[in-house]
Amino acid sequence: MRCAVGTAWLLVLLLLPLVSTVEPQDEFAEFEDNEFAEFEHVIEDEEEEDFLSVETEDEEEEEEAGQEEVPEQVLEADFDDGEADVQVEDDEDEFEQFDDEEFEGFDSERTGRKGRSQDPPDLKITNVPYHLRTSWENFYLEILMIGGLLAYAMNYVAGKTKNHKLASAWLTAHKDLLEANFTSVGDDGQGAEVQSGILMKESEHIYSIWCSGRVCCEGMLVEIKLLKRQDLVSVISRMMRPSSDQVTVTIDLGLSDMDSFVFAVGNKKTIGRLHKDMNDLSLFVPDKRPGEKYGLPSGMAILSESGEVTNAIIDNKMVRVLNNYADMFEFLHISDQFSGPKVKDGDPQPATKMPDTKKTIIFTFNVPGQGRSSVKDVFAMEPMMKLVFHILDKVFRFRLSKEAKTKADKMRLKVEESFLKMTHAQRQEAAQARREERRRAEKDRMMAEEDPDRQRKMEEREYRRDMKKKQPKVKQLKVKMG
Amino acid sequence: MSGAPNSSSDPRRPNKVARYKPPSQERLDDPTPDYMNLLGMIFSMCGLMMKMKWCAWAAVYCAFISFANSRSSEDTKQMLSSFMLSISAVVMSYLQNPQPMQPPW
Repeated sequence: MRCAVGTAWLLVLLLLPLVSTVEPQDEFAEFEDNEFAEFEHVIEDEEEEDFLSVETEDEEEEEEAGQEEVPEQVLEADFDDGEADVQVEDDEDEFEQFDDEEFEGFDSERTGRKGRSQDPPDLKITNVPYHLRTSWENFYLEILMIGGLLAYAMNYVAGKTKNHKLASAWLTAHKDLLEANFTSVGDDGQGAEVQSGILMKESEHIYSIWCSGRVCCEGMLVEIKLLKRQDLVSVISRMMRPSSDQVTVTIDLGLSDMDSFVFAVGNKKTIGRLHKDMNDLSLFVPDKRPGEKYGLPSGMAILSESGEVTNAIIDNKMVRVLNNYADMFEFLHISDQFSGPKVKDGDPQPATKMPDTKKTIIFTFNVPGQGRSSVKDVFAMEPMMKLVFHILDKVFRFRLSKEAKTKADKMRLKVEESFLKMTHAQRQEAAQARREERRRAEKDRMMAEEDPDRQRKMEEREYRRDMKKKQPKVKQLKVKMG
Repeated sequence: MSGAPNSSSDPRRPNKVARYKPPSQERLDDPTPDYMNLLGMIFSMCGLMMKMKWCAWAAVYCAFISFANSRSSEDTKQMLSSFMLSISAVVMSYLQNPQPMQPPW
């Protein structure tokens, strides 16, 4: 930046002699009268002063001197990038007091220059163009921006470390329990052999552990969904709306590990949301029931396909645990028709066949501490994992009574039929589209066929096919005579 | 499996070990990193073309937020390129116009 300024002033120095030689001569010629003889000397001095003040490149000195009359014409010529705040008009206004009597037939610029030498207090300090000011204070917005970035970066590192600490603490706290129940704890699917003890990092705030090798289930995925402590924006928004870290346990069941039922219990608000969003809960469960009926705390609700299931699942142990740890328990969802959340309206591809279902048990727990969790809060979650295994074993052993089973099967058939009916129109369209595609492909093949004979043959085939289609379908009845 | 849940029976079954299969469906519940990435690119383009300094700075912030929220499975090259683009937008704005930023007030 200083180089640019230096070169600019070099240009000024080079041009100024030209200006001084050209202009003043003409103007002096005009008023060679002795009236202004006294000013000739002064003007030359001024110009020299200008040179000096300009050469030092020190704007403080220039400002203090008060006589920093950078020749306006030269200034305009060189700093014509629109940023120079040269005020020619102001000077004119200022020196109106020196009226025309004294300076008849003169340019106002000339007037201005002379006037300044006579009247120092009325000096107008011309604004020095911005890029001549190199003080850091003017860049306060930039410094603020960089400060913000630094703050974000520091928060990122701090949040990342805290999240990692919490996730590792969870694994350490529950490792013994998991290893007692599963052959393989912490496999990441990579590598030829089954790994163990790996905490998979899906992102800076989501960690998962895969466990398998147990009776009653195919495998268990524990997802530790922490808060986004690494993102400053999330941290700030969390100050308005507190939320907590969650641990989601998803157990995949085999075909014979569970009977046919759909059940959910948990926090009232969450249950309401699940009832609306989840495919299976909305299709198979008509309404929700309050938890108090079964001895659960008042903030809980139950969604169940049949009362038998509720009575079986909500046993004494469950009631005790839920009452003691109501804050930690978010919800439990057991289903043999689990297919995820409902497809949103904006989805362009409506399903033409039923979505795949699988037998699953899903638990979600809240880490105590409401966002300000620490390692010992994580250790306090052990009873929840014990509950998981208790429910898992119970579901495996539970079998519906005959009536309940037939009712459940009928319900499933009904749902399937209604789905097929709804999508009937769409399926027809899809089939029609496919048929059209096939015909078009055939026609193209026909056109591309070079051999005229072959072409004729194909046309005949097409014609015959069309005729057959147009013909009304005649139902053939076999009548047995005699 | 034994009917009684007594502690002596071992529920582990080594023959039932299944390898982990990452879910095929990408996590659709959090679009933040993708939106921030796109926003960052738009801001850096604006900053470069219109020579607006605040656009360039906003682009740097967007790139950083996108990076912080990104999933591990995402491409780091994409993140890095958006970072580089935003930093180049800031540098270019200042080279073309060395004035400090003017606050709107």
